[in-house]
Amino acid sequence: MRIDFVLNGERVSIDTDPLRRLIDVLREEFYLSGVKEGCGVGECGACTILLDGRSALSCLIPVGKVQNGEIVTIEGYRKSDRYRILEKAFAESGAVQCGFCTPGFIMAAEALLRKEAIPDERTIREGISGNLCRCTGYNMIVEGIKRASRMGKGLW
Amino acid sequence: MKDREEKIGDTQERVDAPEKTGGYVDYIADMKFRGMLYARTLRSTRPRARILSIDFPEIPEECFIVDRRDITGKNRVKMLVDDQPFFAEEVVNYVGEPILLVVGPHKGVIDRLISEIIVHYRDIKPVLTIEEAERGHSQPIYGEDNCFASYQILRGNLEDAFKQAAFTLEDTYGTGYQEHIYLEPQGMIGVYENDRVTVYGSMQCPFYIKNALIQGLGWPGDRIRVVQTTTGGAFGGKEDYPSILAGHVAFAAIKTGRPVQLVLDRTEDIEVTTKRHPSIITIKTAIDKQKKISAMDVEIKLDGGAYAGLTDVVLQRAMFSATGVYRVPNIRVRGRALATNTIPNGAFRGFGSPQAFFAIEMHMLSLTEKIGEDPLEFKKRHMLRQNDYTVTGGKMREEVKLDEMIELVVKMSDYRNKYKKYTRDKNPMHKGVGLSIFYHGCAFTGSGEKEKIKAEVRLKKQRDGKVEILVSNVEMGQGSQTTLRKIVAQTLDIPSTDVLYDNPDTDRVPDSGPTVASRTVMIVGFLLKKAAQRLKEEWVKATEVEVKEVYKQPEYIRWDQKKFEGDAYPVYSWGTNVVEVEIDPLTYEIRVRGIWGVYDIGTAIDKQIIQGQIEGGVNQGLGYATVEVLNREDGHLLQGSMTDYIIPCSMDFPPVESTLVDNNYEYGPFGAKCAGEVPFIGAAPALASAVQNALKVTIDRVPVTPEYLLEVMESED
Amino acid sequence: MVRALRPKNLGEALKALDKERVIVLAGGTDLMVSRKRWSGLTPLFEKPVLFIDHLDALKGVESDGNCVKIGSACTFTSLLENGEIPGFFKDVLSQIASPAIRNIATIGGNICNASPAGDTLPILYALNASLVLAAVGSSRTIAIDNFITGPGETVINENELVKEIVIPKDEFNVFFYKKVGARRANSCSKLSFTGLARVVKGKIGDIRIAFGAVSPTVVRSREIEQKMKNKSVSDIEKMLPEWSNSYSLILDPIDDQRCNRRYRKKISLRILEHFLRSLN
Repeated sequence: MRIDFVLNGERVSIDTDPLRRLIDVLREEFYLSGVKEGCGVGECGACTILLDGRSALSCLIPVGKVQNGEIVTIEGYRKSDRYRILEKAFAESGAVQCGFCTPGFIMAAEALLRKEAIPDERTIREGISGNLCRCTGYNMIVEGIKRASRMGKGLW
Repeated sequence: MKDREEKIGDTQERVDAPEKTGGYVDYIADMKFRGMLYARTLRSTRPRARILSIDFPEIPEECFIVDRRDITGKNRVKMLVDDQPFFAEEVVNYVGEPILLVVGPHKGVIDRLISEIIVHYRDIKPVLTIEEAERGHSQPIYGEDNCFASYQILRGNLEDAFKQAAFTLEDTYGTGYQEHIYLEPQGMIGVYENDRVTVYGSMQCPFYIKNALIQGLGWPGDRIRVVQTTTGGAFGGKEDYPSILAGHVAFAAIKTGRPVQLVLDRTEDIEVTTKRHPSIITIKTAIDKQKKISAMDVEIKLDGGAYAGLTDVVLQRAMFSATGVYRVPNIRVRGRALATNTIPNGAFRGFGSPQAFFAIEMHMLSLTEKIGEDPLEFKKRHMLRQNDYTVTGGKMREEVKLDEMIELVVKMSDYRNKYKKYTRDKNPMHKGVGLSIFYHGCAFTGSGEKEKIKAEVRLKKQRDGKVEILVSNVEMGQGSQTTLRKIVAQTLDIPSTDVLYDNPDTDRVPDSGPTVASRTVMIVGFLLKKAAQRLKEEWVKATEVEVKEVYKQPEYIRWDQKKFEGDAYPVYSWGTNVVEVEIDPLTYEIRVRGIWGVYDIGTAIDKQIIQGQIEGGVNQGLGYATVEVLNREDGHLLQGSMTDYIIPCSMDFPPVESTLVDNNYEYGPFGAKCAGEVPFIGAAPALASAVQNALKVTIDRVPVTPEYLLEVMESED
Repeated sequence: MVRALRPKNLGEALKALDKERVIVLAGGTDLMVSRKRWSGLTPLFEKPVLFIDHLDALKGVESDGNCVKIGSACTFTSLLENGEIPGFFKDVLSQIASPAIRNIATIGGNICNASPAGDTLPILYALNASLVLAAVGSSRTIAIDNFITGPGETVINENELVKEIVIPKDEFNVFFYKKVGARRANSCSKLSFTGLARVVKGKIGDIRIAFGAVSPTVVRSREIEQKMKNKSVSDIEKMLPEWSNSYSLILDPIDDQRCNRRYRKKISLRILEHFLRSLN
């Protein structure tokens, strides 16, 4: 099936099995390896992307579902001003250790801040509750998102 | 040279943060080589069986079967003893044991072939539990008695102390499995070219892998190269298992002449890689007429799984933690590690000591209940002090700052008031508070650093003034890319950005030992500091200079491995935790309300990185203590996916309020001791103590699940 | 390669269903896990797959004086953001899985998946929800408790599609929901309890009680509820042992990898008793 969608701001078209996992299409056809596979069953959030502006797990989405949709991965998002704020805030907060979960957290943070530019602690924790991290214990990530929200006033 | 004065310990942004955050870094699953093939493993579905025959479908020309016949060297994974094969021979010993690989260009074809290969087994009665392993079996799995290791520590006169005791108390504790769930599953790529093999992958110990390949291939070391790729968490889980995977991709690359990638899916990773050892620990204590502990008789049993792996050393560390931070004049510690037909267990942050500390800390509570003394006062009365003797009769040379640390943690958490209130009150909300005290012996056990590792580091100054760190230790999330750079930069008084440190490549770096045992900063960092000091003296502008440092054991260390006597560790890091809980009176779900910690890790090379180790370690420890349930039935894991094996999420635990107490160590860089593992250890006993305080029942195992609490509460009624 | 169909509208979808046997995929968050293979391989579907998540006809929420009608392909997030959805229903929805899954997973998918631990099911049972099943040229309405017959089993015909969920607007002034999972978010239910009641002048006017994950399907007993109706709340304490015992006889949980039978049953009954006491 031919599937047309917008990927990181560009129109793309691909002829492939619509039941393929979006994560495989992104990684193998578009070489977007910032989308990580941590579990493959929707538990860890390492493969989080934005689909039509909302967070989604690319390991659970058959690519046929994104027909005419808009997808943003970390590779697209990292060109934005918002990303630069998040990157800096994460680094300053010590939110990054092994890094495997980090791009997923960044995408979840963007989805969260888009909904609520100045989230309280509970909203942040709830917003990233589908992203698992085994290194940091989460608190420094929560801190990073708070910091980004402060630093990026007006951006979200 | 530098634009501003920096102090060691000051937070510096991690050098690896931006590239990881933006998804710029390739982990092993992201790497592709021209003509690369994929490999998938056919694994045993039986806990114990003889392989009678294997039926193969027609194998397409571009596909390969790689099995034990392709092993040119010895079919044993080099670890402490040679018992574990790369590929099963006649017998399989656990569910998930590798039998062969199917290798090819198309995953779909490989998958089909795997499903069409039929292995004919004749089942052998498996040994599935510690009890079965001890009871004896017609065919032991290991040696004569299913025992991987058996040790005893004996000090003083146990018999007399028990005879003269005012009373004695015996408790038995159980701890479960724990799975690492590093977020990046394990994986390797093997490349064969110009008569050499290169293995790339996610790992902690490049030279363990190199040595395993030397033995497995039967090749000289100069034909083997191991390169670490950015590693997405490890926690001990990538200490020994990667050697097996590396063997697999190396054999496959040589056979096929093409690069071969083997990356585990998460479910496969959970089902076949090492776990934290389940334990059964019995402590019997004699209390004298002055209400002091006069003797302890401890028995530790670990479930080692099907192969020896690192179990022997894990058992030793458990034994060296058996009496906790307490002074016990007469001691017997017996340890046994048993073989069962289950996944081989291995290293996991804490390495045997979390099991032992859970048992001793809970037992101390149990003793105070019997005596009727405040638990903290009772613990304080028995705490080790400078110049006391450790469990193995080594001298505690360093200043023990536990009094100061406890006062701090008590103040931060308001422990005393809370303890009084929750103990006295009817407590309908089931609130409770618990305090744990613990240590972690830094670096390798006994004389391991001197006898086995013999670390060597190098620093290479380039013409342009930049200095490269050449060590075999890896960044796996714990921050060594930043901390080791800082140590060198500050010593040389140059900016951190002028210090280079790539992921290790065994062709380029000396063997500075594995990235384990919280040794990287203290041992390797200290060698780097010495090297940097020499380089500073020998610094010549616009010239290449290389300096080398080799580990020398500090003079004071005395260790007798045969007698198990002396300084089991060069020095200790210490900690104390308070955890406050509230337990749902309807469901017995545990809500952690507060976590406090004070640590003595010598000095921090980077305070934020240490905070990360504390937060992450405590979170893992609380996971171990509460939600991380992993059981097995007939040798199969019951929670074999991330849907069923639960690790904490962002909603589960509050932040850790922590602080550090400085206690410079002469043989650590800038006074640093070890930090990676110690934060894990105190979490489970503090949590369990808090639950015990809240519910007024005895907690004798982890994880403390609501199901377990229901059972305990009902048996109390 | 299995075919996948992406109809332009509901009519086309129903025609496709009429023509051949397909697997209907809305959010796909369960199907993609159960059909998962080795990473990199396309999940294995044994029949052609019919995508329906994009069909506008299945994505509306309508409300009139009597009921709320929810399109089966509404995601949990879209319901959480919809003003017509009652707050207590949102309380249930907000505890399902994680934000990223709620953005994709649909209410129709959760119903048709018919998992004993399906998190929307107990509240739908309690609310007397019914489902509109559409087929080419026909349509029928069926109560949710008649629709689900066992784990993963429903009475849907192969040519039918769940079009919408109809929830009557009954009046309640007590809502209670408790989900017990292994962690505070992003986990499957070990058990769940849903209690709704209308208490007027000290009497139980209406009461609905539903238990999740303690039997092959949601447990709700109209018989026991009937006995509770019109009772004075001050008599609850007296009646509690009898009522609790009645439920005890019909809760039949299993031991599995997430929890054990004993805990599921005991705790469900404790929550029940807590809920009933809270009415007084």
